[in-house]
Amino acid sequence: MSLLQTRGLTVRFEGLVALADVDVAVGEGETVGVIGPNGSGKTTLFNALTGLYPPATGDIVFRGRSVAGLPPHRIARLGVARTFQSSRLCLQLSVFDNVLAGMVAARRTGLLEAVAWRRRARADMQAALARARHLLGLFNPDLPARGWERVGQLPQIDRRRVEICRALAAGPTLLLLDEPSAGMSPAETRALMKDLQIVRDERRGLSVIVIEHDMFVIEGVSERVIALNYGRKIAEGSFAAVVAHPEVREAYLGQEHARA
Amino acid sequence: MPPLELLLQQALNGLMLGVMYALIAVGFTLFFGVLDVIHFSHGDIYMLGAFAGLTALAAAAAGGVGGGALALVLAFAAAIVVTGLIGVAAERLCVKPLARASPLMTLLATLSLGLVIRESVLIFYPRGADPKPFPRLLPQGGFEIGGVSVRYENLVILAIGLAAMIAVDLVITRTRMGAAIRAVAQDAEAAQMMGVDLDRTVDATFFIGSALAAVAGILSGLYYSEIHFIMGITGGVIGFSAAAIGGLGNVYGAIVGGLVFGLLQTMAAALIPRGSEFRDVVAFAVVMLFLIVRPRGILGARTVERV
Amino acid sequence: MILVWLTEALVFVLVVAGILAERPRALMLTAAAGAAAVAVPATVPRVRTALTRAFEAHRAAAVAGGAVAALALPFALRSSPYWTFVATLALLYVTIGQGLNLQIGTAGLINLAGAAFAGIGGYTVGLLTVSTGWPPWLAVMVAPLVAVAVGTVLFVPILKTRGHYLALVTIAFVFIFNVLMNNFEFTGGPQGIKNIPTLTLFGHRFTTAPRLFGVTLPAHANFYFACLVVTVLTTVIIRRLHDSWLGLALNTLRDDEIAARCCGISITRGKITAFCVGNFFIGLGGALYAVMVGFVSPPDFDFGYSLVMLSVIIIGGVDSIPGVVLGACLLVPLPERFRFLHEYRLLLYGVVIVLMLLYRPAGLWPAAVRRYR
Repeated sequence: MSLLQTRGLTVRFEGLVALADVDVAVGEGETVGVIGPNGSGKTTLFNALTGLYPPATGDIVFRGRSVAGLPPHRIARLGVARTFQSSRLCLQLSVFDNVLAGMVAARRTGLLEAVAWRRRARADMQAALARARHLLGLFNPDLPARGWERVGQLPQIDRRRVEICRALAAGPTLLLLDEPSAGMSPAETRALMKDLQIVRDERRGLSVIVIEHDMFVIEGVSERVIALNYGRKIAEGSFAAVVAHPEVREAYLGQEHARA
Repeated sequence: MPPLELLLQQALNGLMLGVMYALIAVGFTLFFGVLDVIHFSHGDIYMLGAFAGLTALAAAAAGGVGGGALALVLAFAAAIVVTGLIGVAAERLCVKPLARASPLMTLLATLSLGLVIRESVLIFYPRGADPKPFPRLLPQGGFEIGGVSVRYENLVILAIGLAAMIAVDLVITRTRMGAAIRAVAQDAEAAQMMGVDLDRTVDATFFIGSALAAVAGILSGLYYSEIHFIMGITGGVIGFSAAAIGGLGNVYGAIVGGLVFGLLQTMAAALIPRGSEFRDVVAFAVVMLFLIVRPRGILGARTVERV
Repeated sequence: MILVWLTEALVFVLVVAGILAERPRALMLTAAAGAAAVAVPATVPRVRTALTRAFEAHRAAAVAGGAVAALALPFALRSSPYWTFVATLALLYVTIGQGLNLQIGTAGLINLAGAAFAGIGGYTVGLLTVSTGWPPWLAVMVAPLVAVAVGTVLFVPILKTRGHYLALVTIAFVFIFNVLMNNFEFTGGPQGIKNIPTLTLFGHRFTTAPRLFGVTLPAHANFYFACLVVTVLTTVIIRRLHDSWLGLALNTLRDDEIAARCCGISITRGKITAFCVGNFFIGLGGALYAVMVGFVSPPDFDFGYSLVMLSVIIIGGVDSIPGVVLGACLLVPLPERFRFLHEYRLLLYGVVIVLMLLYRPAGLWPAAVRRYR
């Protein structure tokens, strides 16, 4: 029984089909890589899975229930967390605040407790902060000490780590990583691969879908690879099999030719 | 139910008001289309246009060109140039420097700039707190048709308003600058890569939008025979409402929105007891309901937010 | 600790001197001292760090000192009922500003109907006490709820649409409110509602001058102390909300709605909460104003006041709780002190806001990072 399953997932904008009839399944604890040229629908797939773009037709089943058409915050609360291609952190807020934002939804402390029941609200917050420190420390031992700095002051790679921490802070069962290596040097990408390993060790049973351009990252982390082009799934299987697939080769080589 | 003649009469009046509102609304919608900003001082730019026109008329009278069509043409020319340039200055001062900040910052900055413009007219224009009589320069009199009285004055105002709209439409659809404006509205980055000078295009947009507001300002002076420094607030809110009902970013939508708002006001005045006092209440209430039901506006396209 | 109290005492003396100095020479002297007091920590880093460290280390002492100063102010101003009134007005602007700042600063909801919501509070008090004979204190407690209810009914659907529509609709609402108040008969039309009964506490009417520690204070001192309590409570509540999960959620949705939604934050719920809590305190400010001055009329709540409230926030510091206090304490008394500026008041506010947004968008007292203490 897979954790996530889409059936005939289709997303349209003004008649333009961004995602056509895509079937994707992710098992528990599995890491799936998604590849495809620019504009092939990879990020659209994530946006559909997280509820930002409601599907035109098709269904998304997550943990046995249909989530197609649910608003993003409801889907997030069911256990789907994500990062964004161009990171979406609140640069004015502190590192801790950004990580804590991932835990907001799960908290039950209400307005009255925040105002009147100070001790409880404070204890709750301290526990959350401890968890944020722990998560940040997994990725970079220096990060917890910089927790009160504004995120805007961190280097790019640490921002990406903070964003992953925010996603993990929600305690998800499915984590969607949208091109974690975007805008990073090869050395940083290598560091990031180590981080992804940490993510999976930290939470056994966590399923991950990762979109990547960098084939080394894909090869290194994913157990199964899905290739998209023009919004359709063109190949699925092991990394070696997908890369050797003629349609995948054509999609990428065709692009190379167009570029040249 | 009021008699049909009264309704027709109010429809005509609504059309008159609507033309003025449409001219203001086009500015809002152009600015939003090109820069994705709401230029909240635009209403006060409209008020400035009216005062620029009045000042030009006074100067023309002092120079011996009192009354008549020539004075009016001079007033329009002067107000269009002066107000257009002030609009560009407003953009350079309050919009461009905040391009990278959150859109709310631009909103607050232009809102405060409007306050500055308003208070400056109040304080520095001679006896600025009082309503200023605006000379009646248009042919008086009129005729009656089917129980509806049509005044020559109103026909001229309608004609000038329509001419201004057609002129802007031609500029936007037929000229190079118009093509640049449309390109930037579509996608500023792509337009720049195609060789469009972004700064110049934005300047041109603000000049055109503010010039239209100036035309609206003088028309409003001619219509009501008086102008007041406070007119910019209501003018701005109504113009923005009209642009919003039409669909922000769509020029034709703004024109439709302006006419709709004018008709709403006059029909409310005709159909509701004590309607003349509550006409704005009714009109704004309808706008609110409309924005809730259809936030994209009548002609607005569905926008997909990029993630 | 001594340093903290000395600093606070110095500020207190300067403020009182600045308010009361009449002769040009005294005024000049105060102005020079005030300028020096601002310039020294601003230019000498060592003084600044010493002061920050002292205030950081002795927060409780600083709060206690501030409380003493706030309580002592009416005694220092006892010769001037007018300035006691202005000080109370500044407190009301703090209350209103905290409410509005939760909306504008924390949640990014541009509510430009601050004047109208304060007006709803004020008119509710007027109507309940004068027309239906409710006791004033009960009316003052109910009025903010009316402001919240009206705001919820009218604006919740709009909160779901794009940000600038809220700005548009709230401006329109201020005008609608004014037109209605001017034209309804039961609100007294342009004359408004007069003779709103004053508050009483244990039989002490707020219009009689209180005698405390053998000193007779102006009657407005009653309201000063009452408003001080309300303002402090408001500030504490807003601060606790700001440093809670709610504040964090609001900040997140203000900065990035998409990220917030993907974190499981309900945008609609967050915005509604911020809008309601904010309107409560804005309405409370308006209600207290009504019982303090004893009448309400449409011009007391026109669009200009919305802009004054906005200035308090932007000049003080967007999303900054101490910033609102500073902003209100500067913006309310300054034009009263310099009467010749009164005519130019709104013009100056406008110029200052534009300059602030361009050159110091975080305000005079920028919001600090949340430390959850």
